Amino acid sequence: MLNIRDLERRWLKYKIKSYAPYLGAVFTILLVSLIAFYNSLSSTVANEEINLPLTENSSEIKANNTETVTILEPSMDFVQSFQTTIPETQIATAPAPQRALPPQQSIPVPKVLNIPSSTSIKAPPPAISPLSGDKSLSLNRNESKLDIESVERRFKETSNPNLGLFIARYHYDHGNYSEAYNFSLKTNSMNSKIDESWIIFAKSLVKLGRVEQAKKTLHLYISESNSESARSLLDSIEQGTFK
Amino acid sequence: MENSLFSKPRDLFLDVVNPRDYVQIDSVSHMYQSLKNSVQKPLKMILLFGKPGTGKSMLLHKLHHDLSKHQKVLMFDIPIVDEDDFLRVLAQRIFGHSPREVMTLTRFLEIAEAVSYPDVPIVLLDEAQLYSSSLMEKIRLISDARAIKFVITLHKTDKEDVIAKEHFQTRIWESIELQNASAEELKVYIQKKLLKANCFDVANMFNDKNMKLITSLTKGNYRDTNKLLFSLFSLYYWYEENHPTLIKYNALKSKWIEMAAIHTGLIRA
Ligand SMILES: Nc1ncnc2c1ncn2[C@@H]1O[C@H](COP(=O)(O)OP(=O)(O)O)[C@@H](O)[C@H]1O
Ligand SMILES: [Mg+2]
Repeated sequence: MLNIRDLERRWLKYKIKSYAPYLGAVFTILLVSLIAFYNSLSSTVANEEINLPLTENSSEIKANNTETVTILEPSMDFVQSFQTTIPETQIATAPAPQRALPPQQSIPVPKVLNIPSSTSIKAPPPAISPLSGDKSLSLNRNESKLDIESVERRFKETSNPNLGLFIARYHYDHGNYSEAYNFSLKTNSMNSKIDESWIIFAKSLVKLGRVEQAKKTLHLYISESNSESARSLLDSIEQGTFK
Repeated sequence: MENSLFSKPRDLFLDVVNPRDYVQIDSVSHMYQSLKNSVQKPLKMILLFGKPGTGKSMLLHKLHHDLSKHQKVLMFDIPIVDEDDFLRVLAQRIFGHSPREVMTLTRFLEIAEAVSYPDVPIVLLDEAQLYSSSLMEKIRLISDARAIKFVITLHKTDKEDVIAKEHFQTRIWESIELQNASAEELKVYIQKKLLKANCFDVANMFNDKNMKLITSLTKGNYRDTNKLLFSLFSLYYWYEENHPTLIKYNALKSKWIEMAAIHTGLIRA
């Protein structure tokens, strides 16, 4: 029914076609800049040629020449500023998650999360359900999301590590890092060979401000599994580039 | 392959309409609620319209499924385009009358008047753009006489827009427009379908990048999404049998999504 070879061939054609405009654009940019470069060269040469006979006004010629040279300068500035803005934006984005950390730390800490020296993690705030009286509203809100509670219930019944991973990933994506921590922990204890579960576990730890524990976990896991993704996560945590 | 990981998810996305497969998606449930409310109101006619693949038939089937527990409700998912046949079938199935004579509109209304139900019987017509405008006019007169309450679905294309305007806009009939899913809703749709069938491993494979690609290919259209995923999982099934080492289980391959899109015609190549 499926002709895979034919599909692969058509896919390649499609990819080439979709990259063609970019290749074309790169090519034209190169061409245009090349032409511009030659033009600027020949125009300075032309300036000199035209001005050469007027040797009496040599001071003016020099001024003219320096003018043609300075025309190039703004574009150099632009390139330089362009290069310097890249690290600047990186610096600007890097601290953002740290600023966002305090509210995350106030996430209710479930029992499984057993942290001895947790001065920064506050007690769970009172359950926020002022809307619970409004049935229709809370109903709609549940529908808009995946019914994660029923999935969690199913996880309890089936103890399927894949389901645990699914839930951990869901919570991580939704910024519930302590829940992500719990479920990845449970998943790891059911099946200690799921890369992604360890990754979510370590990332949640970082998000919860427990960087050292995250590093230790990753070191341990890497020594057991040789996992590439764990290694690169560890690197990015150590270099402070983990967002 | 008996224990293939991908045969079940593949069959989940067959393009069939079964109210038991209905999944709750924010906006759709909202529509469904207002549809149900409209049915309770003393309105004469309700119009469900939207582009093909936005879930009109699904909603209509769900309504049929839910209403038939409590009241007389009849579903025409394939239109009866012959006017005489149409009235005959209605007379028989709703009012239990099998006439020998030619069925005119006047005769039909007489038959309807002779039978009284506690609630006005409801007739659901899918694909109403296939009915002739003269039959649509009769349908309108039947609902005007409050003999039957019609809920109809209509494809929204340029041509049908005209029909919609002519037949419905000037009257005080309720109309509900269905739309393609947003990126978030499409994600919920796919995840709920997979989870309902216990396909966790496959559900885990959809990451945000995959969802972005799928949404941009299908524009959030449910039918296109079904077709795309059906051929995507057929593809995975093939690789599982022939080159299992190529499969990565932590994410869907963009390449294969695009190949499936080429196969279904969502990408022209
Ligand atoms: N709420 C929903 N739950 C489950 N499946 C849905 C839902 N909405 C649409 N679908 C699926 O999407 C496909 C297209 O929907 P359909 O109702 O046939 O669209 P339309 O009648 O508007 O052309 C069908 O296969 C249907 O099963
Ligand atoms: Mg339909």
